[in-house]
Amino acid sequence: MSNSVTARRSRSRFPLGGWESSLLVLFVLQVLASSFSIPGFFDSFSSWLGLTENFLPFGIVALGLSVVILTGGIDLSVGSTAGLGAIVMAELWLHLGMPIWIAVMIGVALGALVGLINGLIITRFNTEPLIATLATSFIYRSVGTALAGESPPSGFPDSFNALGQGAIGGLIPYQLILFSILAVLFALLMSRSAYGRKIVMVGYNGDAARYSGLRVGRIVTSAYVISGAMAALAGIVLAAYYSAVRPDMGDILLLTTITTVVLGGISIFGGEGSIGGVVIAVLLLGFLRQGMLIAGFSDMVTTMVTGAILLAAITIRNLLSGRGTGMALLVRRFRNLGRDKLTEATK
Amino acid sequence: MKNMKWAGFLTAALLGLSVTAHAADIDTSKRIRVAMVPKLVGISVFKANQKGAIAAAAKLNIDFLYTGPVTASAQGQVDVFNSLIARRFNVITTTSNNPTELAPALRRAMKQGIKVVSYDSDVAPDARDFFIQNTAYPAFGKALVDSVAKYIKPDAKIAILSSTPDATIQNEWIKALKAYMATAYPKMTIVTTQYGQSSVSQSLTAGLNILQAHPEVTGIIGPDAAALVGAAAAVQKLGLTGKVIVGGCSDPDAIRQYVKAGVIKETPLWDEVKEGELVMYVARLAYNNAIPRNGSFTAGDLGTFKVNDGVIIFSDPLIFNAQNIDNYHF
Amino acid sequence: MTRAPRRETREVTLILATIVTLIVVGIINHDFMTLQNIRFMILNSVVLSLLALGQTWVIATKGIDLSVAPIMGLTAVVTGLLEQGSGLPLVGAIGITIGIGIVLGTVNGLLVAKLNIPPIIVTLGTYSLYSGLMFIYSNGTDVVSVPPAYATFGNGTLAHWLPIPIPVLILAAILFLCWFVLGHTIFGRAVLAIGNNAVAAYNAGVSVVATQIRVYMISGLLAAIAGFVFLCYTGSATVTTGTGDHVELQSIAVALIGGTAIVGGRGNMVGTVLGGLFLSVVLTALVFLHVPPIWYSAGEGAMILVTVTLGMRQNAARKAIR
Repeated sequence: MSNSVTARRSRSRFPLGGWESSLLVLFVLQVLASSFSIPGFFDSFSSWLGLTENFLPFGIVALGLSVVILTGGIDLSVGSTAGLGAIVMAELWLHLGMPIWIAVMIGVALGALVGLINGLIITRFNTEPLIATLATSFIYRSVGTALAGESPPSGFPDSFNALGQGAIGGLIPYQLILFSILAVLFALLMSRSAYGRKIVMVGYNGDAARYSGLRVGRIVTSAYVISGAMAALAGIVLAAYYSAVRPDMGDILLLTTITTVVLGGISIFGGEGSIGGVVIAVLLLGFLRQGMLIAGFSDMVTTMVTGAILLAAITIRNLLSGRGTGMALLVRRFRNLGRDKLTEATK
Repeated sequence: MKNMKWAGFLTAALLGLSVTAHAADIDTSKRIRVAMVPKLVGISVFKANQKGAIAAAAKLNIDFLYTGPVTASAQGQVDVFNSLIARRFNVITTTSNNPTELAPALRRAMKQGIKVVSYDSDVAPDARDFFIQNTAYPAFGKALVDSVAKYIKPDAKIAILSSTPDATIQNEWIKALKAYMATAYPKMTIVTTQYGQSSVSQSLTAGLNILQAHPEVTGIIGPDAAALVGAAAAVQKLGLTGKVIVGGCSDPDAIRQYVKAGVIKETPLWDEVKEGELVMYVARLAYNNAIPRNGSFTAGDLGTFKVNDGVIIFSDPLIFNAQNIDNYHF
Repeated sequence: MTRAPRRETREVTLILATIVTLIVVGIINHDFMTLQNIRFMILNSVVLSLLALGQTWVIATKGIDLSVAPIMGLTAVVTGLLEQGSGLPLVGAIGITIGIGIVLGTVNGLLVAKLNIPPIIVTLGTYSLYSGLMFIYSNGTDVVSVPPAYATFGNGTLAHWLPIPIPVLILAAILFLCWFVLGHTIFGRAVLAIGNNAVAAYNAGVSVVATQIRVYMISGLLAAIAGFVFLCYTGSATVTTGTGDHVELQSIAVALIGGTAIVGGRGNMVGTVLGGLFLSVVLTALVFLHVPPIWYSAGEGAMILVTVTLGMRQNAARKAIR
């Protein structure tokens, strides 16, 4: 599951065969255990696949956010961007009578545009990604609320709603097909293309990337464009899932998605991790949550368990990676960071 | 489970002797599973519904579950609905975070033969079997205006402090109150509408800002629990008690101190506990197919209710004031 | 240190920006510049500034604390419900506040320092755990009122000759402590050293683990105090207190507006409090300028962006000179 860029590193760093494989084993065990112990979890293959409709929008956002986090940045505006993209799509369809699929494309393009704005603010004004995207998320939120008005649009054509609720032959959800295509694309892009290597390099050591002649600003900006477009696409899929839009519909995406990306093995400091891990984490967390809810656990317990899993997983990962604890680990971690403040001297 | 039964017993004891089974005319032979899904769990006003529902469920042979999301989000509610569908509940009752986003999940439930009953905040009409409207919108709009207008000059300037710009039920009430105000108090004007995002702290800040940015305002209507509390607290902090009258709607526990202090003269609501009981009666009858889309039905000692195209109006507004507020605890 | 001039620049910028906003909006709307309005703009900033002071400590070590929101809410709910249920005296409530803050903050600190999990992940995880505790503890009961002693603590003054509300005094005292400890003690220097370069700090003999734990403890403690001040100021608390308003993001924004660098190694306590005040003034000004409420959030975003980018410019200029 790990890609070529990280494979070498993962092998040397994770003696147990990689974080991704461990996640995969965990995922399979979890699905098997849930299927046998939770009535209603696996009634039929189609109903089981249908469960993915409830969490794949998180996965779409996670793919885009992974690219940003690989560069060592973060995009807090994904929630507002999802809402904004969906609202613009819906308003174009409702008030301008635009064919809905063209409106969808414009919605995604708008997501890319607000991502571009994020990227330019971050690279041109040298602003920290966290604060820049926090600020722009407030602004996009206002724009979304203003466009949505008192009664936001709803009741889209069934052909569009199928994107969120339908399944090919009543078996494979369109969402799952969309996500699979995107996942493969992102995995190839990050592992097999020069672009992917550049992204990882910028995140691994920005200064080294700059000195080796990479246009770091452009590469970083492009990551935010991708993240914005994916967020808007996720918002549009949610719009189809609900057959309705609301400015706050993306709010729930942010924290869960960061959790997913990090659980998937992408280092929050950038430069390390693979799309494969993120995809497994999406499925793992998604099926876990659905399974727990079907088993009758409350949303509160489910949320708490998710938080605990995140902490436990990263702890185990640190322990298994043989990096030890305490200061030795810190020294290694900071060396791996490759941030601009760390020079050769600290080694 | 044990706790729930104990709570039910306790509630029954608290409610006193009125709880004697009068469900003789309702077929309760088959035990059914009914879920109540509030906008979010952990909020007292929804717990009042739960209190009533538990009491009624015991009489109606209902296996009752109160469950909901931890944030007021549609996604959270949809996840809960999906789990209830998978667990084959017989009836889902809910008050929605918004009317449109929940519809597909509830339609899926109906397709599987699950009865859906909405209360307080409705969902799209084709995504539920019955809707229990707390009070009729025009009557509630009138009560909201009266809660302030009776105590200030007929040409006064007032402000509205609502929850969010797209909150369905608040917008319906604001529409109704504007219509009533235009006829009953034509000289009264609304100078500003602000939003407290259903958060007491943001409502308090908004209330302070309204009062200082618009010193001519002598009345604030807060048609949202957090907004009403925030507005009342703002009036008290600025020492404007008696000079600015605050009205709106909230559960009595949250505003008791302000009613006693005279910041709030009266506020309309409805009996949330009894409404919870009615929700269970409608759930039971809907499962039994013993309730018409148009017509009327009897819900034990709650009395007889009219059904109009699936909409049931629970009651007239219940007005709390300094005299009666201590009779209500929720 | 070479930092001193830059810090002052940020503080002067914020003070000037605040004064200019006050004057311009005051000219447009005469009700803006009343003593009472200014008093409330200050009072409204206290809770956020307390949270942001804690956040400043954490950010100075290159960390981040998202769990301040549920720590604030949990404290407000626990102390409020204990009072409502069994008449907890004010002193007891303050003791419980301090206890909750220290314990929950230390848990964060241990996870960050001992297990070496990135701070954003630790506090994301404890965010869910602590908000879960809040739900379990409250079990759906809201705090709907506080007794006079609490209300005085949140709104009143200590004495007639000192017409400054108690929360503002608390903030001032904590600000002084934070400013003094960060700028004039070995601990403060250790914090900044870790933020600059943890490895170098370790090599120089700084106890990185102990310092990190203390920093998260301070953040937890200040978040708990903010929660108790919130309870006393508003007289209410529910399970959405803190988390519902996303104070974790707001507090980070305020710390950064104040001139603290998110890459660590720099903390500006005075700037943080001035930043909180400026934010409060700007948000109030929007109301007095009759800006439609929908745009308040955009106004906040724009203000953060402008202040922080300007700050970055200053830094960049300085860097270039060096």
